[in-house]
Amino acid sequence: MAAILAALRPLARLNIALLATGRMLAILLLALMVLVILAQVFFRYILGDALNWTEEAARFGMLWMTGLVAPSAYRWGGFVAIDMIAMALPRLAGRILTLALLLISFAVLVAAIDLGHAHIFSGCLFKSATLWLPFTLEFSLPIPLTGADLTLCTRATGIAFEWGWAKMPLALSFLSLFLGIIVMTLVSVELILREIAKLGGLETALPAIRPATGTES
Amino acid sequence: MLVWFLPLFLVLLLIGLPVFFALLAAPGALLWLTGQERDFGLLYRNVYNGMDSFPLMAIPFFMLAGEMMNRGGITMRLVEFSQAMVGHLRGGLAHVNILSSMLFAGLSGSAVADTSALGSMLIPAMEKQGYSRRISAAITAASSVIGPIIPPSGIMIIYAYVMGESVAALFLAGIVPGVMVGLGLMAVTAMMAKRQGFPAATAKAGWDMRGRASLRAFFPLLTPVIILGGILGGVMTPTEASAVAVAYALIVSVFILREMRLGDIGPVLMRASITSGVVLLLVGAAMAFKTVVSLSHAPEEMAAFLTSLTSDPLLMLLLINLLLFIVGMFLDAGPAIIILGPILGPIFVELGVHPVHFAIIMSVNLTVGLATPPMGLVLFVASSVSGERVERIARAILPFLAVEIFVILLITYVPAVSLTVPEFFGFIKETSP
Repeated sequence: MAAILAALRPLARLNIALLATGRMLAILLLALMVLVILAQVFFRYILGDALNWTEEAARFGMLWMTGLVAPSAYRWGGFVAIDMIAMALPRLAGRILTLALLLISFAVLVAAIDLGHAHIFSGCLFKSATLWLPFTLEFSLPIPLTGADLTLCTRATGIAFEWGWAKMPLALSFLSLFLGIIVMTLVSVELILREIAKLGGLETALPAIRPATGTES
Repeated sequence: MLVWFLPLFLVLLLIGLPVFFALLAAPGALLWLTGQERDFGLLYRNVYNGMDSFPLMAIPFFMLAGEMMNRGGITMRLVEFSQAMVGHLRGGLAHVNILSSMLFAGLSGSAVADTSALGSMLIPAMEKQGYSRRISAAITAASSVIGPIIPPSGIMIIYAYVMGESVAALFLAGIVPGVMVGLGLMAVTAMMAKRQGFPAATAKAGWDMRGRASLRAFFPLLTPVIILGGILGGVMTPTEASAVAVAYALIVSVFILREMRLGDIGPVLMRASITSGVVLLLVGAAMAFKTVVSLSHAPEEMAAFLTSLTSDPLLMLLLINLLLFIVGMFLDAGPAIIILGPILGPIFVELGVHPVHFAIIMSVNLTVGLATPPMGLVLFVASSVSGERVERIARAILPFLAVEIFVILLITYVPAVSLTVPEFFGFIKETSP
């Protein structure tokens, strides 16, 4: 049990940091989405000159916003579920059921990582119709302890970055869901370890799951 | 074999797997068992493609606008306005609760937002005036289902997206049913008020006071006019209108009512992004689920089963009411629409039911399911806002549910209730059979 707690603490710290970063970016994206669509309305109806990139840019923002906040929602219990049975069961049985459910979710996420990896590569050749970037970017970053990697269109470990305008590959958009799933998997591992620790009677020793500042109240 | 994923899905849901994972695990497991693993990729791609939609963007925007208006004191103004109008009636605060819900519905598209925003303000106030906590919570929950019926509406955006209908037509079609639910609830409240001696909230407001309350609520009340006006005038798409609603809510909250500081924007954006992120993921997962539904031939089998029961469209509609009502008790309206809409919609259109009419039947049915024991989501929110136990609220809500069921039947059997307004504005073609 001590080993579980020892593994849990750094993982919780990592998740808290990752999730907070994700939320900051998501907030920014949501604000930008609104501005971009307002610009779309303004240009079309006031200036009579429709912008062609706004819709795709806003969709790009929405997909990334979703990928970036999903892990926070999962960690904070924001995923809708019917928890009546786990609540109605005796304490121990309820805990075991909760653990089983977490393991099913984990299995779904692990399967999704594999699929997401393939999905990214399928989007490398296809370019966005309207979005341009002032650089090209490819990377493959191994995820410690798993043998998996966070990738954008390359299998060679490292980051390849080059300045110069190019149409955005759709893979950059696909990356939103893939990254979201990888971080959700980290959260999932944390939640599973927590549940095991609870089964071992260590509930009070667990780090808090909610931010202490109550930013989500 | 593949057809078994529907029962598997229900089992996973009932034992408490989050809906998002259940939507993926059930078809995934069956594809695996039947050796169709190559369709896994299809499942994943459809989660992504299901979320990648411009019309769906209205969901985060309307949620953001709603959060802003709530933070910016707009909810408060609506309640004050309702109080000036109906506060003097017997059962005043109960009526205020319902009328506020109807007005709030014109700003927000979610029953949950309505319950938490109005409940946290009105339930304590009602208790102070001598209403029992369970009645206060029950009225809040029952009236909040008006939120997604009167436009704007999150679930109608989803329905239009999945079924290829016009968002504007659905929005318009929801107006009369929503008002009818509200008036029906007020009628029950009036009867209960007489029998149980509910107090009036305030002395009757004079027209000067009503005028002042209207003036204070003027800018908030203008929101639905701007949203619907923009869409109906052909000036904006619903998504653009929702972005304009955000800008308008920001201006009203920060510069006109001055209840929100610019520093409040961060937390407001965060709440909106998290709640809408969860909805979008659910939509994506439900779209993936839907592809496996079609692979499994479940729609054809279900259609054959339904038509074998009866060929009378009216009887069939009643069966559907029942089915949707039960589904709504267990499943959130968004995923339910995505899964069942494509199965049920075509059957009824074939039988001569107008697609917009069917959309409203389905939306209202599932929304009322949100407030229905044992699993209605709104009941749980009302419980957490009020501190009353779900079972007690569930019992107190029954008379209100009876009215809502009555309205559902009216909507189902009198197409004009939903179709007249969109027809008048030319958003649907002639509907004579």
